Amino acid sequence: MGTKLRTGLAVAAVAVLAAGCGSKGESTSGTQAGGKLVLGASLSLTGSLAREGILTREGYDVCGKVVNGKGGIAVGGKKLTLEIQYQDDTSKPDTAAQLVDQFNDKGVKLILGPYGSATTEAAAAVIERNGQVMSDSSGADDNIFSKGYKRTFAVLSGAKQYAASMIQAINDLAGPKPKTVAFVSADDGFSKTVTAAGQATAQQLGFQVVDVEYVPNGTSDVSQALTKIKPKNPDVIIGSAHLVEGVAIVKQAKELGVGPSGGFAETVAPPTPDFVQTLGASAEGVLGSTQWTVTTKGSDAWFGSATDYAATFAKQFGGRQPEYHGAEATAACLALILAVQKAGSTDAAKVRDAMAGLDEQTFFGPLKFSENGQNSVKPMSVIQIQGGKPVTVWPKDAAEAPLKWPGKA
Amino acid sequence: MTNVDSEDPATEVTGVAGTAAAAPVAEVPAPIRPDGLRRALPWAVGLLALAAGFGLQTQLYTGQERTVTTVFMFVGLAAAWNLLGGYTGYASFGQVGFFGLGGYATVVVMVHAHLSFWLALPVAAVVAGGFAALVGWPLLRLRGHYFAVATLGVAEGLREVMTNLPRLTGGGAGITIPTVGPEAPTRWLGNDGFYVLFLLLAAFVVATAGIVASTPAGYALRAIHQDEEAAAAMGINTTVAKTLVFAGSAALTGMIGAAYAFQQVTIYPERLFDVDITVLMVVMVVLGGSGTILGPVLGAIAVAYASEWLRQHFTAGHTFVLGALIILAVILLPQGFTNYVRDATKSRRFSLLENVRRYRL
Amino acid sequence: MTQLVQAGLYGLLQGCMLGLIAVGFSLVWGVMNVVNLAHGAFVVVGAYVAFELHDLFGLDPFLGSVPAALALFVFGYLTQRYMINLVVNAPIFITLLLTFGLQLLLVNGLILVFTADYRSVPTRYAADSLVLPGDVRLPLGRLIAALIAVGLTVALGYLMRRTRTGLAILATGMDRGAARLMGIRARHVYALTFGIAAALAGGAGAAVGAVSTFSPADAGRFTLFSFVAAVLGGLGNTSGALLGGLVLGLVEGIGGQLLPGTLVNALAFAVLVVVLAIRPQGIAGRAFYASRVEA
Repeated sequence: MGTKLRTGLAVAAVAVLAAGCGSKGESTSGTQAGGKLVLGASLSLTGSLAREGILTREGYDVCGKVVNGKGGIAVGGKKLTLEIQYQDDTSKPDTAAQLVDQFNDKGVKLILGPYGSATTEAAAAVIERNGQVMSDSSGADDNIFSKGYKRTFAVLSGAKQYAASMIQAINDLAGPKPKTVAFVSADDGFSKTVTAAGQATAQQLGFQVVDVEYVPNGTSDVSQALTKIKPKNPDVIIGSAHLVEGVAIVKQAKELGVGPSGGFAETVAPPTPDFVQTLGASAEGVLGSTQWTVTTKGSDAWFGSATDYAATFAKQFGGRQPEYHGAEATAACLALILAVQKAGSTDAAKVRDAMAGLDEQTFFGPLKFSENGQNSVKPMSVIQIQGGKPVTVWPKDAAEAPLKWPGKA
Repeated sequence: MTNVDSEDPATEVTGVAGTAAAAPVAEVPAPIRPDGLRRALPWAVGLLALAAGFGLQTQLYTGQERTVTTVFMFVGLAAAWNLLGGYTGYASFGQVGFFGLGGYATVVVMVHAHLSFWLALPVAAVVAGGFAALVGWPLLRLRGHYFAVATLGVAEGLREVMTNLPRLTGGGAGITIPTVGPEAPTRWLGNDGFYVLFLLLAAFVVATAGIVASTPAGYALRAIHQDEEAAAAMGINTTVAKTLVFAGSAALTGMIGAAYAFQQVTIYPERLFDVDITVLMVVMVVLGGSGTILGPVLGAIAVAYASEWLRQHFTAGHTFVLGALIILAVILLPQGFTNYVRDATKSRRFSLLENVRRYRL
Repeated sequence: MTQLVQAGLYGLLQGCMLGLIAVGFSLVWGVMNVVNLAHGAFVVVGAYVAFELHDLFGLDPFLGSVPAALALFVFGYLTQRYMINLVVNAPIFITLLLTFGLQLLLVNGLILVFTADYRSVPTRYAADSLVLPGDVRLPLGRLIAALIAVGLTVALGYLMRRTRTGLAILATGMDRGAARLMGIRARHVYALTFGIAAALAGGAGAAVGAVSTFSPADAGRFTLFSFVAAVLGGLGNTSGALLGGLVLGLVEGIGGQLLPGTLVNALAFAVLVVVLAIRPQGIAGRAFYASRVEA
């Protein structure tokens, strides 16, 4: 017999063997029995969103450590220890979906959200089909919540507030009040939603929007947009993008001589430690919107108040202060735990109903979900970089320091 | 006695040898083909593998099913690439462009024209194949690295174009096929349905490749690979052959892209035109053995499983390990597994270092 | 109008800096017919070297480009000598795969060691600019980077044409067999070439680190730019790639002003495809290398 024949038969034999080797008949190992509450998390530990994915993982880790340090969660008379299983979705939405499916196979029905709106959207579709429950920590885009999904709950404020909150802050606190604003926006879904809502709020409050420029998502060169904006002389430049673009806007504006009198206001980037580290002195005075700061009002039984949370985080991570990516992750984990406690069970359907009816104060602010799953009651805060640190300036009752407005009349 | 002005090479040779075979004038001998049973055997094995694939489905969990479905997708992609890169020798690094084009064509047609998926599938094939024929006309003149780079440029360019047509394709924000409710043109097939769909598509691609390879067309492609000028001199219309295989490979890839887009429901340009998909295809074909039918299949299965296993067991460093494995595999086994097995069993020399010695400087 | 001038000048500076990366890439392609997909990763490694030196010793990143270049020269030499030389005679997609695997290794190794944080090497002067009439700005950091790029390219040209080593490299590129018969050690020459290319990439990386932010994920972007610039400029000429980089930077700069911002990426690929379709040997390519291009 020829080698081709032999190879062919070998392949066929392997295929038949493989067909017989599967074990669908086996019962799923009881992951929720035996004293453990298992949560699944598909995170971007590598790939383009690796940085933010790791920050999110830290938040989940804090939750696990604190909950287990307090003896676990009381469910039906027993105390369950919390275990979070991580998988890497390499920042790709279809991989995130596949991993959620694989969690479902293993009987893990309660899922902690991945990082970013695209991956969360993909995962949400699978959650809905499989009857799992997902606590979303970072997917803020409204698109996720306009599809009629009933099993995904976002603890964070929606995308529409990211820019609108900063504009409102400028309106309330800045003196003399600036007249014109311009937007530099990345072209992904989330940033576009942010920009659209920001424009609407700006016009509503009496500002004139002189320009809206779009840049490719993830670019580190926004010089084209800035060169186009420069002759229009806006008082404030609002950046609706992520970390890379945010840093580039400030850096290249300096290179190109674009100096709006009111400075810059950006989403996502300013509260992160990378922003100040890479920009140094140029970061001074930049406004940023954030889901959480150390002055956020509210406290709960597990984490205390916002300052308590900050202290716990610093202890676990060698003195480093938390920023909002970690906090929102911990809050998502907390939401699931509160729901499990309220439902008195780890059954997915009961947990889902409990989550839908949650109305709690936490270190992250109020948690209450609207019909479509978004956190409708939580406001965002606005920070300003002062002395190399992000400092809360708005809302006024949570402000750590007054706004240092650089603008002139 | 050789007669220099003889016009009949057959009689010239036979005249010298003394055997008077009355061969017809200037007829090229038919290619050597295996006899009936041996020809049927690969097809029988293929059918057996297909049956095994169906059987496997009953044994898998949903998550495992998705993994195996991805394996089938890559089997199809690798086999389609192999037609162009392995047989014809034109290593295209832009294959994902047709994948994404097929996917976007399907989604756009399903969303804007409310066509059923089963109608959108051939549309995707036609769009991808047609585009390839169009682009192939200037690009297939190039060779080697230039062809690879040009196709890469086309693929990346397609991605940028898709990102910049937001009203048609949703741009960077992605586009979603309605799959629930009355708006859905076709019901979502479910994990089981997609398993079967991708299995059938993979079988179709492999079968097509098998048919092409065993007909004179396949020999034409191999001839172009070995020496294009000589092939042209033998009367093969190389331009037509290359364009046909380019378009055919693109159409098959486009169909797989269409199925993938339907499975994902929401698609984004960065994912559907991801250059990693092309590279994975190429790695699979090379490691499995380019220029064979079995090679891409084995390579796809092996690499897909390896990457999945690595991802589950080395959460932080799996891509790093994958890179190291690719380097090792390419150095030690550059002709691919099936070619290595075939050569080694014939010559009884199994040393991997032989491979290294063959290609080193 | 000043917008176009500003964008054009900014684009030229950017193109010049990135063109230095393309020069090394083009050298390796021209001499050894190896397309090094890991070239962008060398750039990022150079940036990290400069970053670490600045962090530990406060060394200015433009000065740090020298140790970065040296470190990458050694790395490149060893990589070529003991790894890529093993597959030089194989079909082209083997070398492509090998360098791709190398890129995966380097990029993910960097992520494991340095994490995926975005970094930049801060200097006091890099963001300041020369102010030209019409308020057109020339950022100092980019200007210095561009001057370094031009200087190094000229030095490389001199090396190639006036020294024995350079001539040996060119000879091996033209006809490896004949060069070996003349006593040139091809393995060593190949390794030397790759080392020089890696050194140029590393030096450029240090400049990039000073001027903009970088992270391991940027490696692919640099490789892609090198492709396009090298093809545009044409092989066989050390200044060809730099020229290609300048043209590409100019096109992107001016194009970015005339077109919506999100189309800028598409522009580079459009240029690539058009050049390959119309004049594959590039603007300044030599005829000898053009013979490799077309069927």
